[in-house]
Amino acid sequence: MLHERLIDALGADAVKTAPEDLAVYSFDAYTAGRPPAAVVLPRTTHEVSAVVRIARDCGEPIVPRGAGTGLCGGAVPVAGGLVISFARMNRVLEFDPVRRRARVQPGLVNLDLSTHVAPSGLFYAPDPSSQKVSTIGGNIATNAGGPHCLSYGTTINHVLGLEVVDERGEVFYTTIDDAGYDLTAALVGSEGTLGIVTSAWVRLMRAPEAVRVWLATFPDVDAASDAVSAIIAAGMVPTALEMMDRVAAQAVEAAFHAGYPTDCGAVLLIETAGYDDDMDACESELARIVRERGALSWRAARSQAERDALWAGRKGAAGAMGRISPNYYLQDVCVRRSTLPKALHAVEQIAHTYGLTVANVFHAGDGNLHPMLCYDRRDARAVQAVIESGNEILRAAIELGGTVSGEHGIGFEKRDAMTAVYSTADLAAMARVRDVFDPARALNPEKIFPSGASCPEVKAPSA
Amino acid sequence: MTIEELAATLGEAQRERTPLTIVGGNTLRGMGRPGAPDARVLSTRALAEVIEDAPADLTIAVQGGMSLRALAQRLGAHGTQIPFDAPFAGEATVGGTLAAGWLGPRRHLYGRPRDFVIGSTIALADGSIARAGGMVVKNVSGYDMSRLYVGSFGTLGVLARVNLKTIAAPERTRLFTMRLPEYTRTRAIAALATMRIVPAAVLWVEGFKQQIDGEDGAEGRLLAFVECSDAMLERATRELRSALGRAGVPETRVVDAGAREAFERVLDAYVANVGERSITYRIGGFPDEAEATALEALALAQRFELRSDTLLDAMNGDVILRVSDLDARALGAKIEMFDDALHDLRPQAIVVAGEHPSRALLQVWGAPPDALARMRALKERFDPHGILNPGRFVGGL
Repeated sequence: MLHERLIDALGADAVKTAPEDLAVYSFDAYTAGRPPAAVVLPRTTHEVSAVVRIARDCGEPIVPRGAGTGLCGGAVPVAGGLVISFARMNRVLEFDPVRRRARVQPGLVNLDLSTHVAPSGLFYAPDPSSQKVSTIGGNIATNAGGPHCLSYGTTINHVLGLEVVDERGEVFYTTIDDAGYDLTAALVGSEGTLGIVTSAWVRLMRAPEAVRVWLATFPDVDAASDAVSAIIAAGMVPTALEMMDRVAAQAVEAAFHAGYPTDCGAVLLIETAGYDDDMDACESELARIVRERGALSWRAARSQAERDALWAGRKGAAGAMGRISPNYYLQDVCVRRSTLPKALHAVEQIAHTYGLTVANVFHAGDGNLHPMLCYDRRDARAVQAVIESGNEILRAAIELGGTVSGEHGIGFEKRDAMTAVYSTADLAAMARVRDVFDPARALNPEKIFPSGASCPEVKAPSA
Repeated sequence: MTIEELAATLGEAQRERTPLTIVGGNTLRGMGRPGAPDARVLSTRALAEVIEDAPADLTIAVQGGMSLRALAQRLGAHGTQIPFDAPFAGEATVGGTLAAGWLGPRRHLYGRPRDFVIGSTIALADGSIARAGGMVVKNVSGYDMSRLYVGSFGTLGVLARVNLKTIAAPERTRLFTMRLPEYTRTRAIAALATMRIVPAAVLWVEGFKQQIDGEDGAEGRLLAFVECSDAMLERATRELRSALGRAGVPETRVVDAGAREAFERVLDAYVANVGERSITYRIGGFPDEAEATALEALALAQRFELRSDTLLDAMNGDVILRVSDLDARALGAKIEMFDDALHDLRPQAIVVAGEHPSRALLQVWGAPPDALARMRALKERFDPHGILNPGRFVGGL
């Protein structure tokens, strides 16, 4: 019944029902869920509406999916239902270089947008490391960040308006310029639980006049994170401030030969962008701070090619981990920037306790840690150790006044950690929003909100 | 007052079904529809403390009733700022400015006030207290409730505490003022709006003579504010002068001392009333259409024989239009028809200031947004008995 109706509405080539196809959609880049009842690949907003209506009639929940690069199970079905893949809604619909905005479909790959607008001297600022693959729709769902959101802000700062299909299959629009509640802000980062974004107006930025990239090396991560804290405390906000520890730098060098030193305890990758005239002063100030904090070396990337190589190494760091470990678990927590040294200590301590190798590659300037715990999936004890140490890292971040996700989202994996940061009243406020947009909990169910097991009832009290 | 006491007050009001008018510095009292006549006024001004100042993190947490000036002074001591750009900073509160969704002229460069909010504590109508976000600069743990509260005009709850991120204050601020003969206007505005070095604010001003400095000319004046480093100031000045020269602007005056104060006077003008004789609109749009909007609005005011003062924000595309008449009665006789005509022209126009009693009859929030039904459902879910600023917001929310 479900399959026939979907095929009637979208055509056979847009509906997948074979078990081997469905199995593929039960994973993201880390998490395993359950296969959906069907996968659909709509081409238009109208088709998305039709799919939602059919799902509703058949009592199937809906899981929207971009490229599946998420790490928390946000795009993975855990209770069956329909997966809506946006792979065929991947176009730039409108591009206005004068007003520096574009309207794009959710399946558009992040990097393709910047490539599309580059000839006009513009770029799309959010640049998660997955940007070669991940989609604008998925980025909106998780309010994705990336190295450059240190100065440009996360996805929310770059979305101007949305076209959304609601839980009944009806289309509505939001813009940040409308009088009224900022529904755009509510939807960005809502992980597909409040509506299905079918197109988005995004803000584009002018490419900066000057860009410089430097590498500083340190004897250990302590010294490097001190330097990060000092740079921020000095009021300097580079466009990116990324750290890599020795383990990570070695993996990246082995994979990319990007020019990262491997004979030091930690590497800082610093980028500033802006006006030519500011660059020299900026460089001398940064150099002074890192030297004061015990930098072993300091060098500037001399060419665009060298800058690109360093960035390719940074953005490919997660992939490079394959060089040193059969598997890794990537945690995502964010702490106050001044507590970075303490947070890194805690991570190291936890890894040590569980006998795990940890590699750190992360957005140091934001206080956004990404410890990668290395393990071998075939070793059951190691798997257990990774799970436990992952949870301990969450606890350590919370104890330092931090949060359980800086940019990857909550999805299915971290939903029960929500109760560690938020009270029932805090979560109830969020649930009120959910009540309005998705009273039946048909949109990406079992995500974000804690499971019944650990939080008896996260439901807004009736006032 | 504590945050708990504030929440208890709301809970009690809900139990007694007493409508509340939520007030911070009362500087934006000209926004929104008038409050219910039987409403009790609830001021947040007693909640004015810094809760946590973390300059090394570039963050600060303050209570909602703190004035923008007090916050700016605190941040200034660390060499940082948050560009709220709201009028009458001495009285305006952090919570009120955010709740009103205020948008000022430097947002194209630094971002909107909402983008500085990293966490919040809100008192809800049922007397509960809900936190969102935290003190970290990146956070995707559930819905971004803080940003939802920003711009909700106190109709979902009362912002008791906000956590903010800060940015470094510019080393230098320089004001450029010039007469703007009509034949240079289009080119001058376009030249500044597309400069390689982005000015912090560019405003074409007609009228507002009591409020705003500048070279008086029959055809208005142009103000450009540049905020930059020491190293950039000379080049910024050179490029700005040369852009204006190419556009045909005869002469540019440079002001360094007092540039910041001059900027604040411009902000004050956004909501400066002429007694009960004026109504001020904000008409949002794109920079490339702002001049046409301003000219059409001016022509309309002329057709109604209303006096007008205008501000055009060339970087963001906002047009501020203040219409006034000789006395309140004269304004009252025309303002409703003018309001209809203006909204025929620009449906998005909203009222930001005006003490005239007819304000209650105007389309103060412009055309209703597409998602109004959902907004109404949200309001009902957060404030089912309608005690928080009832009827004052978009669509009577």
